[in-house]
Amino acid sequence: MRIFMLGVQNQPAFGNVPELPTLLLSGIVWVPTIVAIGLLLFPTRTEVHRERIRSIAIGACSLVTALAVLMWYGFKDQGGTFAYDENRSWLPSLGASYHLGVDGISMPMVLLSSILFLMAVLASSRIRERVKEYFFLILLLETGVNGTFSSLDFLLFFLFWQMQLIPLTFLMGIWGGARKLLAAWKYLFFGLAGSSLLLIAILILYYTAPAHTFDMLSLRDAKLPVGITSLLFWLFFSGFAIQLPAFPLHSWFVDAQAEAPAPAAAVLAGAVVKLGAYGLIRVNLGQFPDLTNKYGNFILGAALVTIIYSLVAALREDDLRRIIAYATQSHMGLVLLAVSAAAPIAINGGVLMMVADGLTAATLLLLAAALYERTGTRSIRELGGLAARMPRAAVVWTMAALAAMGAPGLAGFVAQLLIFLGSYPVHRRGTLIAVAATVLMAGLMLWTLQRIFFGPIREGYGRVRDLGSLEMTYAVGLVALVVLLGVFPAALVDNINLGVLSLLSRGG
Amino acid sequence: MPLAVLLAAARGAPKGPLDSWSPTMLEGFALFLPLIALIVILGFTIESRRLSAWVSILFTFGSLVLSLIVLAIEIAHPLRLERNETFLQFFTGQSGVAAEFRLEWGVVADPLAAVWLCTVVGISLLIQIYSLSYLRREEGLVRFFCAVAFSTFAAMGLTVSTNYFEFLLFWGLLGISSYLLIAHLWRDPLAAAAARKTLLVTGIGDAALIAGIIYIFFRFHDFRFSTLATSYTGGKVGANGLLIMALLIFAAAAARAAQFPLHVWLPDAVEAPAPAAALICSVTMAVSGVYLVARAFPLFAASPRALMVMAVVGGFTAVVAALSALAEGSLKRLLAYATISELGLVMLALGAGAYTAGAFHLFTHAFTTALLFLGAGSILLMLRTDRLEEMGGLWRRMGLTGWTMLIGALASAGIVPLSGFWSKEAILSRMLQQNNSLAVAVVVAVTFLSALYLSRMMFLVFGGETARRRRFDPDKIREPGGRMGLSMFLLAVLSAGAGIYGIPGLKNGFLAFMTYPKQPVERALSTTPVLIVIGAGVAGLLLGWILFRRRLATRLPIISPVARIFANGFYLDRGYTLAVERGLLPLSAAVGWVDRRLIDGFFDSLGASVASATRPRPFLANLRFGQLALAIFAGLLLLGLIAVAVSTPGVPKVAGLP
Repeated sequence: MRIFMLGVQNQPAFGNVPELPTLLLSGIVWVPTIVAIGLLLFPTRTEVHRERIRSIAIGACSLVTALAVLMWYGFKDQGGTFAYDENRSWLPSLGASYHLGVDGISMPMVLLSSILFLMAVLASSRIRERVKEYFFLILLLETGVNGTFSSLDFLLFFLFWQMQLIPLTFLMGIWGGARKLLAAWKYLFFGLAGSSLLLIAILILYYTAPAHTFDMLSLRDAKLPVGITSLLFWLFFSGFAIQLPAFPLHSWFVDAQAEAPAPAAAVLAGAVVKLGAYGLIRVNLGQFPDLTNKYGNFILGAALVTIIYSLVAALREDDLRRIIAYATQSHMGLVLLAVSAAAPIAINGGVLMMVADGLTAATLLLLAAALYERTGTRSIRELGGLAARMPRAAVVWTMAALAAMGAPGLAGFVAQLLIFLGSYPVHRRGTLIAVAATVLMAGLMLWTLQRIFFGPIREGYGRVRDLGSLEMTYAVGLVALVVLLGVFPAALVDNINLGVLSLLSRGG
Repeated sequence: MPLAVLLAAARGAPKGPLDSWSPTMLEGFALFLPLIALIVILGFTIESRRLSAWVSILFTFGSLVLSLIVLAIEIAHPLRLERNETFLQFFTGQSGVAAEFRLEWGVVADPLAAVWLCTVVGISLLIQIYSLSYLRREEGLVRFFCAVAFSTFAAMGLTVSTNYFEFLLFWGLLGISSYLLIAHLWRDPLAAAAARKTLLVTGIGDAALIAGIIYIFFRFHDFRFSTLATSYTGGKVGANGLLIMALLIFAAAAARAAQFPLHVWLPDAVEAPAPAAALICSVTMAVSGVYLVARAFPLFAASPRALMVMAVVGGFTAVVAALSALAEGSLKRLLAYATISELGLVMLALGAGAYTAGAFHLFTHAFTTALLFLGAGSILLMLRTDRLEEMGGLWRRMGLTGWTMLIGALASAGIVPLSGFWSKEAILSRMLQQNNSLAVAVVVAVTFLSALYLSRMMFLVFGGETARRRRFDPDKIREPGGRMGLSMFLLAVLSAGAGIYGIPGLKNGFLAFMTYPKQPVERALSTTPVLIVIGAGVAGLLLGWILFRRRLATRLPIISPVARIFANGFYLDRGYTLAVERGLLPLSAAVGWVDRRLIDGFFDSLGASVASATRPRPFLANLRFGQLALAIFAGLLLLGLIAVAVSTPGVPKVAGLP
C-alpha cells in the first residue's frame, strides 16, 4: 500500500525542479501593471473594442496565475530563507532595496490572490461602462496586492499597500451599488488611517534601529529599546487590525462588501483583507514574537469578539452580501485567534483559513451577484425556492456554504481544526468559546441556504435562468479548489508549515 | 464465493488465501467503491436514472463482497489482531508541545469494524434496491442515489477510522450526507426545516466532539485509537480529566444517537423518504453516535463516572421514548421513537460495561429497524398517509408487507427465537450478573413496552378495516412486490436469523468474537434471563392484543401527557426555539443596530465632519479617466519624492550599507 503514501516527505512530491529565474516574482507583481498601461492605448468605442480589452485583461491574469502556479510547483524548502529571492538596489542612500521573496506563508497568499483576480476578471463580463478604466484599476489592484504579499522591504511593502488602497476606492466609488460613494469614502478613510499608522510605525522602526535600513530580514534581528517595541507593536497591530477587519474597526468592511461591484468585492474579501492578517503574522508575529505572547490575551479578546459579534450581527441581517461579509469577518477573527496563540499549528491553520475563506467568500459573492442579476434583489426575505430553477447554483452554493461552516472534506475543516488544536494549549477557555461559535456559523450558513434555495419557489422567479457556462467555469473552479484543499491539504500545508516554523523559530 | 470463504472461516478451516490477503487493503478498496460510484454517476451517468441507480447498487454490492471477505479473515484469524494501516498523511509538523504532530488517514481491521462494515454495506445495498422501485416515479432519483452512496461512503469511513481526526472527518461527512437525504423533498418546508434542525442539534454534538478531541490531543498528544486505548489507564491524566474527555465524547454520541435531551431531531428527520429514514435510523446517522462510544470504549472504561452518566441517560431515554412510541399517532415517527428507545438500551448496556451485548444489540437492531421502516414505506406508498388512525385492514391486501413487518416487529420486541430476543437476553444476563436491579428493571420495562407499542402498531395498521377517505379507494391497495418485496423479504430473513450469530456458546460467534477487553468471555445460556425476556415480551404482546385487537384504544390517554412532554423534549425543544427566536435573533437585530448606528454611525459622523470641513465635490462619480490615472500617478510620484527627499543629506547614513 505504499503507493498511497503521498506527500509524506517534506520535500514536494515532484522531485527536483530546475531553478526558476529570479524574475518570477517580479513578473507576478508587475505584469498586471504593464498590461494595464498597455490597455490605455486601446480604443473603447464599440462592443468589439470592449470585448478585446476584457480578453487582454483575462490574458494578463491568466499569465499571472500560470506564473503563480509555477511558483507553487517550484517551491522548495529553503531552510528558513525565502524562495525566488530578488534583491536589487533601489534607494541605496536610504537603505531601501527592491527586495521580493516568498516563504511558506506568503506563497499561498500570492497563489490565492492570483487565482481570485483571474476569477474576478472572468466574472466582470457584466461591466459595460468605462470598461478600460475598470480593467486598468483591477490590474493595478492586483499589482498592489501581490506586491504587498511578496515584498520584503518595509518601504516597498508600504508602497504596494498604498497601491491596493487607491484603485479599490475608485472601483467601489464608480462601479458600486446604491450607496457607493459612502462606501468608497469610508474605505478610503479607514485605509488611509491604517496606512498612516503603518507609515509612522515603519519610520519609527527605521530611525530607532541601529542600522538604517528598511529590510525586513535585517530589522528582525535588530535590538530595540523596550518602550519603542511596544509602541511599534501597537502601531502595526492597529494598522493591520483595521484591514483585517477586527472589532470595532470593522465598519468599513461590511459596507464596502455590500456596495463594491461583485468582482471587486470578491477580491476585497478574498485577498485584500487577507493583507491585514498577513501583516499581523509577518510583522507582528515575526518581528515581535515576545510582545505577541505578552499581549496574547488582548488579541484573544479582540478575536473572540470579532468572531461572535460578526456571527450574531449576521443572523438577523437581510442583505445577502452583508451576510457573506460578516461570515468572512468571523473567519478573520479565527485567524486573529491563531495569531494570539502564536503556536505553530495554529498559525498553519490560520494561513490555511485565509486561503479557504478567500476561495469560499469569493464563490459566495460571485453567486450572490448572479442571483442579484436574475432576481433583482439581495434581500433574503424576497428570495426562496430557487433550487427549482437554479439547481447548479444551489449545488455550488451548498458546497461553498458547507466549506464556510467548516464541514469536513472541504478546506475550512482542516483550517479550523488546526487553529483550535494549536490555540487550545495557549488559550483554553477562549478556544472552547470559539469552538462553540462554530454552531452559530453552521446555523447562519444553513439558514441562509434554506431561505434562498429551499421551500416553495417565490412568485416571479418562475423564469429565472440557471448559471451559464461562464459562471459555472469560475464557480466550479473555485469550489474544486476548496474540495482539493479539503481532501489533500498537504498540497499547501507542508509548505506553510516550513514557513511558519522558520518564522517562529527565528524570533525570540 | 465470499459466502463459501465465510463459512469455511466460521468452521475454522485451514486458512488458505486468507492469510495472504491484507484485510486493510480490502477494506480500503471496499471503502472507495461507493465513492467511485458517486464519481461515476456525477461524471457519466447523471442523465440516466436507471443507469445511475444500478451503478450505485453494483458498486455497493462489490463493496459488500470485499467487506464479507474482511469479516471472514477476521473470524479466521486466531488472534483477531487489530491491523492498522496508514495510507495518507495529511500533515506532519512540530506541534510545539509534542515531538510530532500528524494528521493521517488509514483503515483499521478489527472485529468491531469488520462486523459493522458488513452491516452498513449490506443494509445500504438492500435499501438501494428497495429505493429503485420506491422512488420510481419521484423526481430526483439520481440525487437520492448520490446521497445514499455518499452516506454509505461516510458511514464506512467512520467505521474503519484509525484515529480521531479521520473519525471527525467522516463524522462530518455523514452529517452532510444525512442533511442531503433529509432535505431530499426540499420543496416541503417541513423537510427543509427538519434537515436544518438535524444538522444544528447534532452540530452541538459536533462542537463537543471537536472540543473533546482537542482536549484528548492536548493531554496525550495522540489521535490514534489503538495507542490511546493503552494510554488512558497509564495514569498520565487524572480521573477528572478522563471524565471531561469521556463526557465531551458522550455529548457528541448522545446528539447523534438521539439521546435525551438532544433527541428532538430524529422524529422530525424521518420526514425523509422512507428508505432514507431507514438508512439514517439503522446504520448511518443515528447509529454513528453509538458506534463512537463503542470505538472510544477504552476511554469510557477508564472513567466509571462517565459510564454511569451514559447508563443513566441511556436508560432514561429508552423508557421515555418507548412511552412516546406508545402514544405516537404517525407511523414513521413511532418507528423513530422506537429507534431512540433501542439506541437508549444500547447506551445503557454500554454504560453498564456490557460492551459485547451492547454491540450485539446494535447489530440486530440495524436489521429490524431497516425492515420496519421499509415496510412503513411500502404502506405509505399505497395509503398516501402517515396517520395510524387512517390505516387498518391491510393484512388481507398487503400480504408480504404484513408478514415481513410482523417478523420485524416480533424480532424487535424480543420474541424467541428471532434476533432481538438474543441481544436483549445478552444485555439482561449481564445486568443480572452485575446484580444491577435498576438496570434489570429498565431492560424488562423496555422489552415489555416495545412489545406493547409494536403490537399496537401492527393492530392499528393491519387489523380492522381500512378507513374511507376522500379521493382514496381502499380496493386499489395492493402489494408493491417486485424489488421492494425482495428487499423486505431479505431483511426479514436477516432480522429473524441475525440473532443466531450471537447465541451463547457458539464457536466464533458474536459473543466470543467481539469482546472488550480482548479476552473472550465464555458464557452459557442460563434460564433466568431467557425466561424474563420471554415473559416480558409475551406480556407486552398479550396486553397489546387485549388493548388494540378491536382497535378499542388508538391512543392511550394515560400516556399522552408523558409522550407529549417527551416529544417536545421536555419542552427543551421549544426552549431551544424560544432561545433562538426570542433571544438570539433579537440580540442579532440589536447588534445589527449597534453595528450600523453606533459603531458605523460614529465613523460616519466622523467622516461627515471631515468631509464638511474639506467640502469635497462628489467628484469621484464625475471623474474622467485621465484625471483618475493622473491622480494615481501623482500619488505614486509624491511617495517617490518623499522617499528621495528623505534620503538626501540630513538623514544619517550608516557605513556598511551600499
